[in-house]
Amino acid sequence: MKLNRRHLLAGTAAVATAPYLGGSAAAQTRAETLRYVTGATVNTLDPTMPGSTREAFGVSVNVYDRLVSFGRKQRDGNWVFDIDNIRGEIAEKVDISPDGMTFTFHIRKNAKFHDGTPVTAADVKWSYDRAVSARSLAAAQIGTGSWTKPEQFTIVDTHTVVGKIDKPDRLALPNLCTLYAIVFNSTLVKKHVTPQDPWGQAWTKDNTAGSGAYTVESFRPGEQVILRRNDAWTGGVDGKPAPFRRIICQTIPEAATRASLIEKGDADLSIDLQPSDIDTLVQRGRVKAISTPQFNAFSMIAFNTKMPPFDNKKVRQAIAAALPYDSLFKAGLFERGAKLYGGTWSGTPTDASFPQPMPYKQDVAKAKALLTEAGFPNGFDTFFAFNLGSAAFAEPIAALVKEALAAINIRVEIQKLPDAQISTMVTERKLPFFIETSIAWLPSTDYFFRTFLYGPQRWNYSGWNDQRIADIAEKARFETDKAKYDAACKEMIAIMAEETPIVMLWQPNQDAVMPKNIDGYTYGYHRQVDFRDVKRT
Amino acid sequence: MSLAAGIARRAGRRALSSVPALFGVIVFTFLLMRVLPGDPAVFFASGPNAGQAEIQMIREQMGLDKPIPQQLLLYLKDIATGNLGRSMNTGQPVVTDLINRLPASLELTFTALLFALSLALPLGILAALKPNSLIDHGVRFLCSLGVCVPTFVSGLLLIYAFYYILGIAPDPTGRLDVFAAQPPVVTGFMLIDAAIAGEWESWRAAASQLVLPAATMALFVLAPLARMTRAAMLAVMTSDFVRTGEALGLSRRRVVLVYALRNALLPVITIMGIVFSTMLGANVLVEKVFSWPGVASYALDALLTSDYAPVQGFVLLMAFIFVLVNLTIDVLYGLADPRVSIE
Repeated sequence: MKLNRRHLLAGTAAVATAPYLGGSAAAQTRAETLRYVTGATVNTLDPTMPGSTREAFGVSVNVYDRLVSFGRKQRDGNWVFDIDNIRGEIAEKVDISPDGMTFTFHIRKNAKFHDGTPVTAADVKWSYDRAVSARSLAAAQIGTGSWTKPEQFTIVDTHTVVGKIDKPDRLALPNLCTLYAIVFNSTLVKKHVTPQDPWGQAWTKDNTAGSGAYTVESFRPGEQVILRRNDAWTGGVDGKPAPFRRIICQTIPEAATRASLIEKGDADLSIDLQPSDIDTLVQRGRVKAISTPQFNAFSMIAFNTKMPPFDNKKVRQAIAAALPYDSLFKAGLFERGAKLYGGTWSGTPTDASFPQPMPYKQDVAKAKALLTEAGFPNGFDTFFAFNLGSAAFAEPIAALVKEALAAINIRVEIQKLPDAQISTMVTERKLPFFIETSIAWLPSTDYFFRTFLYGPQRWNYSGWNDQRIADIAEKARFETDKAKYDAACKEMIAIMAEETPIVMLWQPNQDAVMPKNIDGYTYGYHRQVDFRDVKRT
Repeated sequence: MSLAAGIARRAGRRALSSVPALFGVIVFTFLLMRVLPGDPAVFFASGPNAGQAEIQMIREQMGLDKPIPQQLLLYLKDIATGNLGRSMNTGQPVVTDLINRLPASLELTFTALLFALSLALPLGILAALKPNSLIDHGVRFLCSLGVCVPTFVSGLLLIYAFYYILGIAPDPTGRLDVFAAQPPVVTGFMLIDAAIAGEWESWRAAASQLVLPAATMALFVLAPLARMTRAAMLAVMTSDFVRTGEALGLSRRRVVLVYALRNALLPVITIMGIVFSTMLGANVLVEKVFSWPGVASYALDALLTSDYAPVQGFVLLMAFIFVLVNLTIDVLYGLADPRVSIE
């Protein structure tokens, strides 16, 4: 084509008018943008950094890919993650050897990092070596799936990696689905390593080197993160880019403000509104709530089994029999959740899943009798603690506990403690009994017991160390026969019901509130929003 | 000339005498944070398998594995080199966080103070000119209301009325609408930056975000300013020089606004300094309600999680600002009443 004056003029005119078309483009952007509001903050872009927040986990899920990922299933009409349905993300196929100890991952040929370079076996190997060797949160987590040293991962060719474990571990593959097993662009990260920091952890805190569905457009720690869609992403179920072009993930500390924003349609999604507000919001008809019981979490009253008089099983059983479960459920949670009390079985459970409703119910006469048997006919003095941050639901519960225990002559003083203080006192085993909510990423019964009911880690709230549990759980972990595994799980649940180191209360709902045209929300193991599932209809 | 020299001399002496105070604040906050119950390393050990190893790792990362005297020396050395440590909550150096957040707090506080003064001074003067009149009672009522209603209540009420019901105000989420273009950062003050860049759209957006939180804070500090103005004006209006002025036939306007007000301003300026410093640190509730990314909410979050470095950094910053404000007040004294410089 010959360039003449006419063409030049037409071109100039087109360029000149372009800015004025911005208005309609902006409107379109709003429809293609998801504004997610939360009370929590993102403090790092590297989820394996010690001290990273849950919101940071949520962002990383969308920015980084793993080799494999959990699928999803319907549960009571809502989408939830499915630990038994594992799909490829960077890997297009996983071959598992018949003995269950060798995993061969075939990397997608079209998988690319955000900078356009292809994802190779070397990147995967480097990322996994980092996960098991660097001083980060990753090692402890994926260690629960028998991944402990770099020698377990070998490169076969540019697109094939093999992982080997010593014993068939039922959590080996699920652990590689978690957000600690992310794949970094090793060439990019290696440019920023120093002798003191061989894994580039200082750099990945504020920068990303992933291949995920979104890239980070701006990151203001403690305020907001803006994500932009990676149009070249192929890790989805259908291989297509994510539905939303842009995600604004904004910190709004005040729950009431978040609620108004959603209701006015200025924000599109929130998962941490006050449980007491949800019903009213839904009744006013402008928004919908997707309420999913957090089936991998549980609220409990934990007894310090290392501290008298709670080292006495009868005292723990007495309190378990004295608690007014239904009132607690109403006052604390407005019944927004699934009960973990009032189970109808006794002795051995009929179901091997956990958490499940435990056979606890209020029986004051029995509680009094147990307390007398324990040697406290006149009761005793103690205190009940809860976290200041969860006062909204814990405060009414504490008052009810105090009142209920007064009926069996246990005099309770209530203590509200700030976050850091209560964590310290729990770890140092200085609290007699307290209320807590906790979560396991991988909801398998032996994993729950290993995490919460045995061992020295912070999450063993009751400090309970029963050798029987240790033996059964360690064996169950490597058990491949489902019938034997289920029998082992039932045995552990029965022991726990009898010993009562903690009283299970309920699984609180996760109430995701959004305008009616937002669809596809899926409850994830990390309890954050996977933006890749959400779309506007 | 001698006026300026006097002011400069006094300011210099004040600045010098504040050095020991600042040092004391540093050491005191440092020790106080460590005396507080609660181990930050335990709190931040949040991994799914947090055990002793992870707690120890975080402790080393935060430098808490060393004995306290050594920690203090290291901290002092760091401060001397302009390093205030790293926040665990945001994962950023504290200096960066404070530099990013201080302008937000200052902009809000200045605006609120401006609102408060432009309301308090006329109201105080009016009340003093007609004591025990309907106006006086009205002002007293407004002031009591402002003091009685906690800021988070008035803040939420304003949001409810102007954002939720009427829909006039923008959504109460920070300094700028999330969909608006961010002006390039020069001073950190959104209004100034937008003006420099000539982005008047952004300027309007930032200003409209500022109105509600500033009004909330202004309402709260209205009382001390208005009451102090009234009291000072009442005292001055009965003094000899005002009577003389009136006897000489000067206009009422000239007597009140020039002769009386200037003499009544000294206590108001003192109060203004105190109010300003208090506002900067105590506006945490307003910052929380309006999601304002300021220093006060930053410090509160850090305090709840026993994140030492940001709290220490914040207290040091506040002490420093307090010193600066006092210096400024000294200078203003000299201008309002030249006799002050004669000591």
